[in-house]
Amino acid sequence: MSNFPEKKIFEEADNWIKNNKKVSLATVVQTWGSSPLGIGSRMIVSEDGNFLGSVSGGCVEAKVVEECISLMKNKKICKKIDFNVSNENAWEIGLACGGDISIYIEEIK
Amino acid sequence: MKLEIIRETLKNKSLKKEFALITNLINGESEIFFPGHNLSEMFSKYSEEIEKIFNLNKNGIIENSEIFVQTYKNPIKVIIVGAVDISIYLIEFAKNLNFEIIIVDPRGYFASKERFPDTKIINKWPNEAFDEIETNSSTALVTLTHDPKIDDPALQYALKNKFFYIGALGSKKTHEKRCSRLIEAGFKEVELDKINGPIGIKLGGKSPSEIALSIISQLVSEKYKNKI
Repeated sequence: MSNFPEKKIFEEADNWIKNNKKVSLATVVQTWGSSPLGIGSRMIVSEDGNFLGSVSGGCVEAKVVEECISLMKNKKICKKIDFNVSNENAWEIGLACGGDISIYIEEIK
Repeated sequence: MKLEIIRETLKNKSLKKEFALITNLINGESEIFFPGHNLSEMFSKYSEEIEKIFNLNKNGIIENSEIFVQTYKNPIKVIIVGAVDISIYLIEFAKNLNFEIIIVDPRGYFASKERFPDTKIINKWPNEAFDEIETNSSTALVTLTHDPKIDDPALQYALKNKFFYIGALGSKKTHEKRCSRLIEAGFKEVELDKINGPIGIKLGGKSPSEIALSIISQLVSEKYKNKI
């Protein structure tokens, strides 16, 4: 049977929450130029920094994990984060592909 | 997003439903959209745009809004005629590429559950098997038996039903013979251009796994060419 890409991610999110973990979902909602993964790519992040899935093929995952953890700590509902080359922060974490992406993060409740 | 929506998404996918997951990026509220059904007040004014994105099988934010749409459509059905070694590798590749595989082979010793665990197998001749499979212009056919008795009826069915991809294993010479048989059966030469024969993109490989890779690559490429 063929899987849909988020199957593992959604099932695991359910498992983590059943184990009393806080979990956030990160989704690529917009891309400009060459971006490594398409709109709709997702990953989940637990409050203890565990993650599954991908939103960029490695360029911004570390920052997304950090942002998700702080979102859950501060009890925020959601946040949209833009990554681009001209953004100093993004350069540091290495969005080397030259594309811009918007990632939406939200806690799963 | 609510956990409930995630569970519902998993359930709808396992029931092979087609739908979209809508998220309001301002407040994190989500809802599942089914074509033809009404949405809640928050999303209903975007119904038309949501339906448009869904029909194009795309994901994205609706212009001038903060509404994100993620479309979930069923994977492309690929009917493989011939439970041969190449099919085993095709199934492996297909798993990660969002294709749904159905194996058709009347020869029970080939199409056994032991050789193909977790795969839908129809142990019948193609003409009978197609009675059990729902097909449309988004369906693909791959014939791998080399045996005209088994391959030809499947090819005829796929040509008549305008499958978006048809590929047949065999050398150029085998393909020429195949085409003459199909012309004798009443098909026009131009219709036969639809058949990819020899099957697959040119990789140069000869092993079953390499042939499977060349076939699956052609399928992916044709999928995008035909915007399916």
